Amino acid sequence: MHEYSIAFQIWQSVRKAAGERGGGRVLSVSLEIGALNLLEDEQLSFWIRALAERDGSADVQLNIAHLSGRIECAACGARGEPGLPAGVVDHFVPPPLACRVCGSRDVRIAGGRELRVVSAEIQTEQSNG
Amino acid sequence: MRLFETTEKGSVEIQIDEDIQAKQEELAERNRQVFRERGIRAFDITGSVGAGKTSLIAEMVQRLSANHGVAVIAGDVATTRDAERVVGRGARKVLQINTGGMCHLDAALVHRAVGQLPESGIDVLFIENVGNLICPSYFSLGVEARVAVVSASEGAHVIEKHPAMFQSADLVVVNKVDIAEAVNVDLSQPLADLEAIRPGITAVRTNCLAGEGIDEVLRALNLG
Repeated sequence: MHEYSIAFQIWQSVRKAAGERGGGRVLSVSLEIGALNLLEDEQLSFWIRALAERDGSADVQLNIAHLSGRIECAACGARGEPGLPAGVVDHFVPPPLACRVCGSRDVRIAGGRELRVVSAEIQTEQSNG
Repeated sequence: MRLFETTEKGSVEIQIDEDIQAKQEELAERNRQVFRERGIRAFDITGSVGAGKTSLIAEMVQRLSANHGVAVIAGDVATTRDAERVVGRGARKVLQINTGGMCHLDAALVHRAVGQLPESGIDVLFIENVGNLICPSYFSLGVEARVAVVSASEGAHVIEKHPAMFQSADLVVVNKVDIAEAVNVDLSQPLADLEAIRPGITAVRTNCLAGEGIDEVLRALNLG
């Protein structure tokens, strides 16, 4: 639901970096997104493309690498990817997180909240010539 | 900074390596510093539409205004109704942030609003987040504590269904306890879910319209 504001910040970051190198049309953007941000790829891509198009970078290609969630269990100390509590199915709402080892839901998020703009490919006049 | 040519069509790949999440944290830290410098204790009040965030704030403002300079920032999608409801309860300043389409407040929006507060005389700030139990949990505002408000009429499973919000909260207020029976909700269920997700977190039962439980909320926030 908050994909637009995230897309806006991603595009601002790309535009600033591109501007510092003399601008030019952005051809592709590479992102790393942690699973526990619960961002929906399709919505996020839609908004980044819409913002890019407004700035003259229509048809920007998005390369999204997904990073898995990692939790630390406060009950048994286990670390690793989160599981789901017994009887819970993963669907539209953010699922409750649970320890895969002991089943406790008292867990801390240790990773998977990354939201990194890694790189962008920019068309340049210089390399055209 | 790596900068190299990658294709024949005349393009360069630039490394950016910017973490948007880390940037959000930096902005929240900037707010924390402003609050510290100005001696303001700030609280983020989150919860669904209709949970009772505004009623809770209005009641807290009324009790605190004799001894504190209280300000309220109300985040809303399109109206000034929330701000109107706390004007007249003793707040020194009430600001409304209309978020347009945004489903949460973020640290940058709060920073801009804080800039509009009177330069002195404010020592307590309540920030009413947009009515939403999902998105605001991912955005830190730089406050002293987050209070998540739920109400009996949201059903017995409201906490279990929105774990991220309750994992990020410091205090939980269970409001409208007076109508739990009428809407056939046994409050021991959400409280048990809360205990499973956040063992030991304080949960206060309130009936904000009647002013019940408000003093306990203030004590839990070290404001009482």
